[in-house]
Amino acid sequence: MSRAGSTHSAEGRLSQLVTVLAFALPVIFVLVPLAIFLVYSFFGVDQGTIVYAPTLSNYVRFFTDPIFLPVFWNTIVLCVSVAVICILLAYPAAYFLTTLKGRWRYALLMLLLVPLLMSYVIKIYAIRSILGLNGFLNKALVALGILDQPSTLFVFNMNAILLTLSLLLIPFAILPIFLSLERIPQTLLRASDDLGASSLQTFLRITLPLSLPGVASAASFVFVLAIGDFLTPQMVGGISGFTFGRILYSQFGTAYNWPFGAALSVALAIVVICAILVGERFGRSRGTSV
Amino acid sequence: MSAPRPSTIFLAAITALVAVLLYSPLFVPIVSSFFTISHGNVDWSSPTLSTYVALAGNHEILAALRTTLIVGLCTVVLSVVSGTLLALYYHGRRFGRSYLQFIIFLPFLMPPIISGLALLIFFREIGLERSLLTVVIGHTVFVLAIVYRTVLMRLQSMSRTLVEASYDLGATGWQTFWRIILPNLSSAMVGGAILAFALSFDETMITILVTGTQSTLPVRLWAMMRLGFSPDINALVALILMFTVLLCVLAARFLIPRQMATERT
Amino acid sequence: MNQNIDLLTLRSVSKSYGTVPVLHDIDLSIRDGEFLTVLGPSGSGKTTVLRLIGGLEPLTAGEIRLDGQDISRMPINKRPFNTVFQDYALFPHMTVSGNVGYGLSVRHIKRKEIASRVSQALELVQLGRFAERFPAQLSGGQRQRVALARALICQPRLILLDEPLAALDLELRRQMQEFLKSIQREIKTTFLFVTHDQEEAIGMADRICVMQAGHIRQLGTPHELYYKPNCEFVARFFGENNLVAGKLGPVQGEQRPIETALGRLVCSICDQPHLKTAPDGVSAFAAFRPEALHLADAKDGANRFSGTITDLAFAGSSTVATIMAGANDAAQRLRLRMPSRIDGSALKSGEMVSLCFAPHEGHLVLA
Repeated sequence: MSRAGSTHSAEGRLSQLVTVLAFALPVIFVLVPLAIFLVYSFFGVDQGTIVYAPTLSNYVRFFTDPIFLPVFWNTIVLCVSVAVICILLAYPAAYFLTTLKGRWRYALLMLLLVPLLMSYVIKIYAIRSILGLNGFLNKALVALGILDQPSTLFVFNMNAILLTLSLLLIPFAILPIFLSLERIPQTLLRASDDLGASSLQTFLRITLPLSLPGVASAASFVFVLAIGDFLTPQMVGGISGFTFGRILYSQFGTAYNWPFGAALSVALAIVVICAILVGERFGRSRGTSV
Repeated sequence: MSAPRPSTIFLAAITALVAVLLYSPLFVPIVSSFFTISHGNVDWSSPTLSTYVALAGNHEILAALRTTLIVGLCTVVLSVVSGTLLALYYHGRRFGRSYLQFIIFLPFLMPPIISGLALLIFFREIGLERSLLTVVIGHTVFVLAIVYRTVLMRLQSMSRTLVEASYDLGATGWQTFWRIILPNLSSAMVGGAILAFALSFDETMITILVTGTQSTLPVRLWAMMRLGFSPDINALVALILMFTVLLCVLAARFLIPRQMATERT
Repeated sequence: MNQNIDLLTLRSVSKSYGTVPVLHDIDLSIRDGEFLTVLGPSGSGKTTVLRLIGGLEPLTAGEIRLDGQDISRMPINKRPFNTVFQDYALFPHMTVSGNVGYGLSVRHIKRKEIASRVSQALELVQLGRFAERFPAQLSGGQRQRVALARALICQPRLILLDEPLAALDLELRRQMQEFLKSIQREIKTTFLFVTHDQEEAIGMADRICVMQAGHIRQLGTPHELYYKPNCEFVARFFGENNLVAGKLGPVQGEQRPIETALGRLVCSICDQPHLKTAPDGVSAFAAFRPEALHLADAKDGANRFSGTITDLAFAGSSTVATIMAGANDAAQRLRLRMPSRIDGSALKSGEMVSLCFAPHEGHLVLA
């Protein structure tokens, strides 16, 4: 469109307008809110009203208060565990998909991705009822004789959050792993066979290393989505399942301390950016990127 | 055919497990939309459509559904128009492009709680009351990246000589835009619109933070969930599932380049 | 190594994909230490032959024997053959030495030995300096040589090459042809080379196997194929040729006449018993190369006919004339190739000329 312009004045004016909008819109609706948000983290609160004077007290509180750092750390551990579970389940499934031929491969992929489109809230609710004391999981475990009586092991606690988030986020792990596996040229695998490798050797030395970029993006995807979620912990976490997202959300609800919430968000954003950068770094394939 | 190898059986078993895990949360509400469940046991003997009838009388839910559709449509219009303009503007232009792309993608990459809270504070600072307008702005900011990227990818796959040929044949900038560029982009725009609608339809976390008194369906459900659902919600869930699968099929249809489609026939 | 001993034998090998047959009852013997080229147009089944031997695909019928042992069902990773793939199939996440040493390391050979054999192999293909590079950092010709080093390091009995030069430009392709041939001479390993490019085949092969439509049409030295093609397909496919249809006449010693639209043409049948035994009156072609055809002078008697030059094309060292010969209703398009001269051609377009070829330079192929 860069050629459109100078000849007609109407086009010229439109192109100027577009230029202004192209820069202004993203800045106004994304950058400015985030900047204000950042600035808020340096404000304080006095008796329910925000004090517009710069202070580091929010950050000091985050690092010194015995509550926040452990929750922060536990949440990171939780979300890393979610990512690990998702990948352990998604990798074999994605690998199985790539062994299928043509139409079946994509039909099954669709089948595994469709649950993503289903209402998030409803899924959380359904999983909660499955995990509950009278839920399907407990019934099945008792029926199989694994448990004598329904267990509270995964009812309203961290385990429940772990299981629910894993269940919700598996499709986000399947897709990138599938795509990276599918990109591996078949001739590389045939070449490995040809050079005398067994199928296990071919998998460990060719397929697995070449699919690691997909695993890295999958892990970073799942981690970022898990750590930002405050609905799931709220719904299935009960009293003991306290995550960083919940604390953050409560600063804007019951606790009503927006500046402190903003400071907690900055901490969250830093972790998320690190996760994305790590995913990016390892998401690029070795050797070929030169 | 020889018998499948143990490794294949293992992989198939894991895949089946994953499928069961993914579908079990969908299975529960759909089954209970047709059958009554008491004390965790399904009564298979008496299928019923009473939940669907009850849904038709649930004005609260229907109002929330209508709100969701309105928000979705507004989001689609805003994001497709601005996403397409931005893609057209930044396609083939170096200056500022990587910065702008970074900014556009921020709300999509950041956890929704951060985008949502940033917007919440922003609206408060500029004195905008929380309403459906703020919800639409929130959704648009969130889905813009998807529309932008979809259209930009189509633009990049479009041969540059197409535009040059149009100029060469004497067309003006406007004519080239309306008769060459837009028709080539249309399927990408429709695909992007469907994706945008699907994302807006189920957006919960940003909406909770920026919504006013009128709320969309997911937020309504969220509020109701604390008290437990009435059975007609299950009917709604079953309907939404069918609807989203349909949307998904449509999106796939529009996002697969036309060339591939014609090659197949 | 003895070139007269068969290394590998294909016996009545057939291959179908579903119901589509691609190879019909192929018999082929590969001699130990030879450079055998399988040549054919695309779709002729030549790559399938290679894939069957390499174990990339199962046979539909028949058997493959190595040193007399049936290996038809031996899995790919147990066969003592290695392949140079068309797109090289270098592992992108491994360095050059990682790629070359792969075949040894999957056999759990000691690191030290791998290192020394890898450096030997890289010296052989003149890539010693590139050991620590990744494939993406190499040029096409260099990747090609890595693929070759990787295939030969396990000292396979047979190296299979699947159109390995197809992706290279012309100049590089010529260099690689010489290079491959010299390596093959040095390591004395049997090479089975698949290509659709006859120039490539002539330049490198000890023997060439011409394939078409899933059949082997002829197997022989490049010289045999060029001067004694055994069928119309080989006569037309392998090098430029003039074919004139006719009916065979009675045998005259080592020669035999054929009655054609250009009159009676006499051709050599030396060392081709099937041409001797063919009955009189059988349909056949007289075949003579463009360079065998020349302007007739007074002393030329046999195989003489006249024609009109319709086109002259300068092709560097030679000039090619297109000639319409014979009566109008049965005119034959022929080509004549002669050395170019600095002062221009002696021929002119539109000129009527008298042409001939020597009987020992003509051959016959049955229709």
